[in-house]
Amino acid sequence: MKYKNILTIAAGLLFCCATLSAQNLSDMRVTEIVADNETGLVDDFGVRSGWIELFNNSYGTVSYGGCYLTNDRSDLKKYRIPSNDKSTTLKPRQSVLFFAGGSGEKGTYYTNFIVEKGQTVYMVSNDGRTIIDSLKIPEDLQPDKSVKKVPVGIKETDFEIENDSEPSPGSYNGDVNAKSKSQLMKEKDPHGWVLTLISVITVFIALILLAFVFTAIGNRSIRERKTKEKKASKKYSENMSPEVAAAISIALSQEFGGEAFAAIALALDDYLGGGVHDAESYVITIKPTPGSQWNEKTQNFRQLPRK
Amino acid sequence: MDTVIESLQQFWHFTGFANVTWQNLIMIAIGIGFIAIAIIKGWEPLLLVPIGFGMIIGNIPMFPGLNIGIYEDGSVLNTLYQGVKQGWYPPLIFLGIGAMTDFSALISQPRLLLIGAAAQMGIFGAYLLALVLGFDPNQAGAIGIIGGADGPTAIFLSSKLAPDLMGAIAVSAYSYMALVPVIQRPIMLLFTTKKERLIRMPKPRVVSQKEKIFFPVIGFLLTAFIVPSGLPLLGMLFFGNLLKESGVTRRLAEVARGPIVDTVTTLIGLTVGASTQADKFLTGNSVKIFILGLLSFVIATASGVLFVKLWNLFLKPGHKINPLIGNAGVSAVPDSARVSEIVGREFDPDNHLLMHAMGPNVAGVIGSAVAAGILLGFLG
Repeated sequence: MKYKNILTIAAGLLFCCATLSAQNLSDMRVTEIVADNETGLVDDFGVRSGWIELFNNSYGTVSYGGCYLTNDRSDLKKYRIPSNDKSTTLKPRQSVLFFAGGSGEKGTYYTNFIVEKGQTVYMVSNDGRTIIDSLKIPEDLQPDKSVKKVPVGIKETDFEIENDSEPSPGSYNGDVNAKSKSQLMKEKDPHGWVLTLISVITVFIALILLAFVFTAIGNRSIRERKTKEKKASKKYSENMSPEVAAAISIALSQEFGGEAFAAIALALDDYLGGGVHDAESYVITIKPTPGSQWNEKTQNFRQLPRK
Repeated sequence: MDTVIESLQQFWHFTGFANVTWQNLIMIAIGIGFIAIAIIKGWEPLLLVPIGFGMIIGNIPMFPGLNIGIYEDGSVLNTLYQGVKQGWYPPLIFLGIGAMTDFSALISQPRLLLIGAAAQMGIFGAYLLALVLGFDPNQAGAIGIIGGADGPTAIFLSSKLAPDLMGAIAVSAYSYMALVPVIQRPIMLLFTTKKERLIRMPKPRVVSQKEKIFFPVIGFLLTAFIVPSGLPLLGMLFFGNLLKESGVTRRLAEVARGPIVDTVTTLIGLTVGASTQADKFLTGNSVKIFILGLLSFVIATASGVLFVKLWNLFLKPGHKINPLIGNAGVSAVPDSARVSEIVGREFDPDNHLLMHAMGPNVAGVIGSAVAAGILLGFLG
């Protein structure tokens, strides 16, 4: 049973790790391609060629070394991005360019294939099988124009494809002059009433939900306690009649007085660490301690020397 | 001889006396004032002593470029200040708060959560007023959170929304938290009648350990799903409470509510104080922030008290709530609950309100973290 539990936990952890790793790479996007570069960007060797832009669509750094780029669906391992190049990591929301001039020997950022109109460019995961993202180059794409994915939506993590755009190699394809949330709020809600209303309602909803749930849990707890009390009183009444209990109680109080009860209660409370028995306030619970407790601090207590 | 005189002149230029400005002296005086208030009056000494001394440290006039100032990259103070700037000290304090807070008072009377929600009006009242005074929405949100009466939350939110105002906001929040007994009492008396102050509330029921364990887990899931942007604060608060209540992580709970919270409180106070350099702190905006901060506390207290009065109109006799616990909806734990107890006993010495006031008090902690999450979501 123990081994079974360990195996289950290990499998769960492995699954999580695998998912996390895949999740990082799965955030990569092929965001822009220029196929026919006549007057545009020049590479480090002074050559103009088509290029592919990859974008990290997440808010964490992604290491894409070991992944593949290809323009052929039947050959997903066409160009392998070197995994031992330390520069193959991409910070959140950043992009990187690969020149697609068919000269892979030039370095990490030069693919061994050429991109042409009508092709689809794929980014493939480091397993060589899983396609992470792709972008199709239109047949009628104009020279020196790009096909690009533009971030849209509130979170700007979804994209729409734009053809014949002005190329923006290595730059963010979304609106770089986009207004901050605060600026937008200033325009939409200059006096702040809408935000105030929404916020107050949300705070109330959150706490009302909490109150509702804990009222229900409290009611259930009260019912459970009453049932337990009933059972306990029945059990004790079987062992000891109320007359006997009263007689013992009177005898104890006559013998020792109220102070003895207080001392017993305090000692028990102290022994239980205070508040332990509040789970069942009508029964004092003494928990069995495991082992000999030889190294417990309480075993080493000494009376303080008197001055 | 010339060399000696030249060296002495050069040394003079390095000293604080050559670089001092009257603004530095004012800030140093304020710092000494904070320390004096903490020691003589005993108001929030754990915060005011570090902040006060930090103010003195931050305002020692110095020659720039020695890489020792709090705003100089890589200096010791700058490194310690990152916890404030990046916002990771406040969640650590929330971990400690969670590990030291007993939510029993709240669990036994969940309806008191609503008072904690009502008192958050202080935050949004100050937000509206800050907009009127010409602050941008992000700055207004950061200023408004002072009304939550929660220092770590104020630092966390201002570090995200308006880092340039953080010093003034943090000092304002902690100052008014120290002044809770002075600010709240007159407002409580103003809005309540003598008859209302005498209301006796039924004794809270005993809460089982099972309920105490459920609370952090369910509380976290509910609030974090509604306001995920409050995750750092809510997550740490409820995690700390789970450590306390689970019964099997006593050592972790003790570390969280002891060494961790003490260390972080010391560092956060010192660095926030040191960040109030005169040139950055003594501005017109700081004066406005102090006024808005005071108003936010007033609005929060009044909202809590008035909400209870309004609620009482719908409650049956025997179930009515003493409006003197309304002030405790602000999350200055446990000071505002203590104020409820003290004011309540002024009018009925046998009416103990502390245990009832702790409910809205800890609800205020959750409410202000939720409100901070909302503001961060909209304006961050």
